[in-house]
Amino acid sequence: MARPPGLIYAVDESPPAAMLALSALQHLAVAANSLVYPMILAREAGLSGTALLSFVSVSMLGLGVATLLFCARTRLIGSGYLCPAGYTQIYLGPSLYALQHGGLSLVYGMTVVAGLMQLGIAPVLRRLRALLPPEIAGLVIAVVGLSLASLGVKYSLGIGVNQRVLPEYVAVAVISLVTMIVFNIWTKGYTKIFCALIGIVVGYAVSAALGLLDLSAAIPKVGLAIVTPPALDHVGWQFEAVMLAPFLVVTVATTLRVMGDVSNAERLNDADWVRPDLRSLSRGVASNGLASMFCGMVGTTGINSYSACIGLSGATGITSRVVGYASGVAFIALAFVPAAAVVFAAMPAPVMGAALFFSSAFVFTAGLQMITARMLDSRKTIVIGFSFAMALMADVYRDVFTGVPAVLQPIFGNALVLGTLCAVLLNLVMRIGVRQRVSLRLESGPVNRDAVEQFLSEHGARWAARRDIVNRATFGAVQVLEVLGDVPGGVEIETSFDEFSLNVRIRYVGMPLVVPEQRPTPRDIISSEEGERLLAGYLLRRSADRVISRSSGERAEVYLHYDH
Amino acid sequence: MTSGNALTIAESRSGAVCVVALSGRIDSTNAEQLMLRLTQLLSAEEKAVLVDFGGVLYLTSAAFRALLVTADEAERNGARFVLCGVVGQVRELFEMGGLLDAFTIHGSYDEALARLG
Repeated sequence: MARPPGLIYAVDESPPAAMLALSALQHLAVAANSLVYPMILAREAGLSGTALLSFVSVSMLGLGVATLLFCARTRLIGSGYLCPAGYTQIYLGPSLYALQHGGLSLVYGMTVVAGLMQLGIAPVLRRLRALLPPEIAGLVIAVVGLSLASLGVKYSLGIGVNQRVLPEYVAVAVISLVTMIVFNIWTKGYTKIFCALIGIVVGYAVSAALGLLDLSAAIPKVGLAIVTPPALDHVGWQFEAVMLAPFLVVTVATTLRVMGDVSNAERLNDADWVRPDLRSLSRGVASNGLASMFCGMVGTTGINSYSACIGLSGATGITSRVVGYASGVAFIALAFVPAAAVVFAAMPAPVMGAALFFSSAFVFTAGLQMITARMLDSRKTIVIGFSFAMALMADVYRDVFTGVPAVLQPIFGNALVLGTLCAVLLNLVMRIGVRQRVSLRLESGPVNRDAVEQFLSEHGARWAARRDIVNRATFGAVQVLEVLGDVPGGVEIETSFDEFSLNVRIRYVGMPLVVPEQRPTPRDIISSEEGERLLAGYLLRRSADRVISRSSGERAEVYLHYDH
Repeated sequence: MTSGNALTIAESRSGAVCVVALSGRIDSTNAEQLMLRLTQLLSAEEKAVLVDFGGVLYLTSAAFRALLVTADEAERNGARFVLCGVVGQVRELFEMGGLLDAFTIHGSYDEALARLG
């Protein structure tokens, strides 16, 4: 594990109190943007006045509890990383569909069911890894990035039902966004770390100056209590079997997103990161299940990890877990303060837009990095490319997809759900005919390096193996063949792959290869070919994670194992 | 790593320095050819030879032997034999072989030329 150069506070480190408070406030301000999804649901449900503020307070309570669950580091739940929670557009489509068919109680009931299904997935995540590989998690993160950007642009331009762009909205968004970018790129220290928060504060100020901030409009006529517990008396739960399909897709999509987000949080803490820690992922998924169940129980929509906050950690270099605890506790406290609900309910749309657009850049590129770390053959290219395109189509042809049967609308009406479903199904189909163990026979004669390179890179891409590991395996195989030279009877190369290892076995008739533990001296290497052979064996020992050279009778085998 | 990555050797001159730019893979099929060319340069009284590994994909033990023989020859001739562009997987192979210290290696082409010049 190596510390990345831009990391200021790692996951296990605690910033000083002032910085901790400001960092938590910044995450709180960014995560509060996600309250837009419950607010859209509330608007569609016709909530206003006290009921709306109560809904916002309960949603803040959900955010706080979920953030604590995600960041916790326990044996059974909690990713252990700074992985704040956020409401998600993934839940929005199916929740609106449930709202139309059974009201808010059906939304709450199905949210509890979705959480329960996710809780069931968590312990078997290891077995499902072939169905939910990292490149698909990367795709989901990239699509989330695009969705955040799209939503950010919509709010920044003030686009409403009449599709008009509002110049004063653009002015607020541009000033807010430019502030974030300038402080992030061209400053150092505190201003860089708190760039998003500074941008949001500037956005609020400009909004107030332009008359876009009207806190009084969000205050009910009966007035506000200073402190009051969130009202839970309106909550009821309904369940319908027909809703299971869209909410199952929601479960898969939110699972992939939390896998991607936790992987991204791990990557931010380790410059040598190569693959996600499945235990962290599994505990993160369990947290998501519990958190969504909690949200459904208290009466709000389902929740997920919040990629924008992970992007914020990457931008600021503060990935300390305690920042997550602090922002979680702050959200819970604010849920008891109705005035806070007013402030969030009145957050100007262009400020929200600027924060979403800023974070989206970091989210999108993190997703792309997760995809491109893998070798992709035609099958994987089709899975990723088609799914990405389908996700975009859901937005581009939104009007066309309104004509699909009602039961499919929660899928076709949501870019992330459609893209995820497409990726999971295509990945399943494309696995047909892919063998996990393949071999190549090389006849006696000069070493055919091209054949070995092509064989390993072709199958590495089919398995979506990591490029650097396939390159090391190729070197290993070529180095072995070079030392063996022209073997009478030829050589058989067998390679096998699972998500955790790439193995190469080279079988031939002859003496076993010498794999020394000590490097021969430069003088040994110069003076004889035997010295060169010993160097070859030594290089193999050092380049593979495990090497075994053995023989049985006339037959010999070199086994090269690479951790993946 | 794609097929058809045969070694190419391109020579040029920068002042008193003979620059040898390599690309492709270096293994037992071409290590002898590389060693021959480098030792020919030393025999031709070149006093500063810079080998640029920027385009090399990987190298095997045969290549290391060729380089060690050349470095030995350079030392006996009183010439300077310097490497640059040793990055990525190629650098990892030098590290794995414990051979980073066996050669004079500079971080970049420009730095190497400045030191030799």
